[in-house]
Amino acid sequence: MRISVTRTGGFAGIERRAELDTSGRPDAKHLQALAHQAVETGHITPTRGVPDGFHYEITVDGRTVHAADPNLSDAQRELVRTVLKEGA
Amino acid sequence: MDANANNHAVSRTPVFCTIVPPHVLDKLARAEDPALADPARRTLERDALERTRRRITTVRGAAAPTGAPSDKPKRTIFDAERQENLPGKKMRSEGGQATGDDTVTRAYDGLGATFKMFLKAYGRRSIDDSGLPLKATVHYGEDYGNAFWNGEQMVFGDGDGEIFKDFTIPVDVTAHELAHGVTQYTANLEYFGQSGALNESLSDVFGSLTKQFQLGQTADEADWLIGAGLLADRVTGVALRSMKAPGTAYDDDVLGKDPQPATMEHYVRTSRDNGGVHINSGIPNHAFYLVAKALGGHAWERAGKIWYATLTGGELATDADFADFAQATVSAAQSQYGEGEEQRAVLDAWAKVGISDLRARAGAR
Repeated sequence: MRISVTRTGGFAGIERRAELDTSGRPDAKHLQALAHQAVETGHITPTRGVPDGFHYEITVDGRTVHAADPNLSDAQRELVRTVLKEGA
Repeated sequence: MDANANNHAVSRTPVFCTIVPPHVLDKLARAEDPALADPARRTLERDALERTRRRITTVRGAAAPTGAPSDKPKRTIFDAERQENLPGKKMRSEGGQATGDDTVTRAYDGLGATFKMFLKAYGRRSIDDSGLPLKATVHYGEDYGNAFWNGEQMVFGDGDGEIFKDFTIPVDVTAHELAHGVTQYTANLEYFGQSGALNESLSDVFGSLTKQFQLGQTADEADWLIGAGLLADRVTGVALRSMKAPGTAYDDDVLGKDPQPATMEHYVRTSRDNGGVHINSGIPNHAFYLVAKALGGHAWERAGKIWYATLTGGELATDADFADFAQATVSAAQSQYGEGEEQRAVLDAWAKVGISDLRARAGAR
């Protein structure tokens, strides 16, 4: 499963993007479960968020959803943190 | 943390929603052909506008003025303990002892400095001018490189240490967030496109003025930087934004180059970042700097008073664009100081950033 996260906005207005492939990873099952939950609770259109808040575009196997701080679900939060930290 | 009500996507799709997916609109909005680009862009902007209207109405209703306005702030600092639940654990209330946590101390002092600047320079009593308690949460999230205003309180991350340090370090960042609250309670500028860039710029203006007020600096002495001291040592840059020279704050391998324009000629059209609110804010930021530089002395005095009167005067529409705002500053300069050097400085500044179609005299546009 390919998961990509694009983060935009924030105080600095600097964009970050990272992608991760779950195949071969020891936590593949966990990440896949997170990805499913993240997509289920995501918005289909971009959300406005709050002043200086981050916006996230999460794409899982070609399906894209949107979310914005501080209103992420726990699954979205863990997923974007993992992908931005460990993805390339 | 519970998923917010806003997070339920499909079942709550609003009726005004367009059938064309936003990423397609996005692509169309960037198309060369204006017949394709313009309607797509308008749709994107309108949809986003509607969303903010609802949100702002919600958050505005939530925080009612409490008690008689005071000359003293009512600060409370909370600790999220690296989680992302708000507000978190209460660490210090107004008048309470320092906790030994420098981050809590900086947030407490930064809110105090901002409260003092708004009170002494403009007679404003807190965010709502009615003594609204100031709430801030620090240590938000894990390695969280951001700060924001959630409609009710300020939130600060510790930074990741690689790119950003602790967001409570620069007082102008703290003041920037508090100023978002002031804007919410006054002009309430839509956080999208040009009105969003004005919202951002006003936060940078009063952020920088808070720092200048605290240091007792004149316009010539000030650094006019936003976020100086925030970038980690390995980053090639001095701050996140420069009001004096937009586009020059950083140029780094990882961060890229500061994308801010100083003039309308280089205005950036994008749908990212709510339509480039942190990018195009460089233009009104630079206009303010030019007014302050031309008038000299303390920038919070004449230049700041003109901007403050514009923000709080009740004449700006929530979707005001740069030209609307510029015209309102010209009118504010006239009502505050007559048709003198202040108004000339304002007209000159806007002309230099590429907004020259302004009238010197008040009246219908």
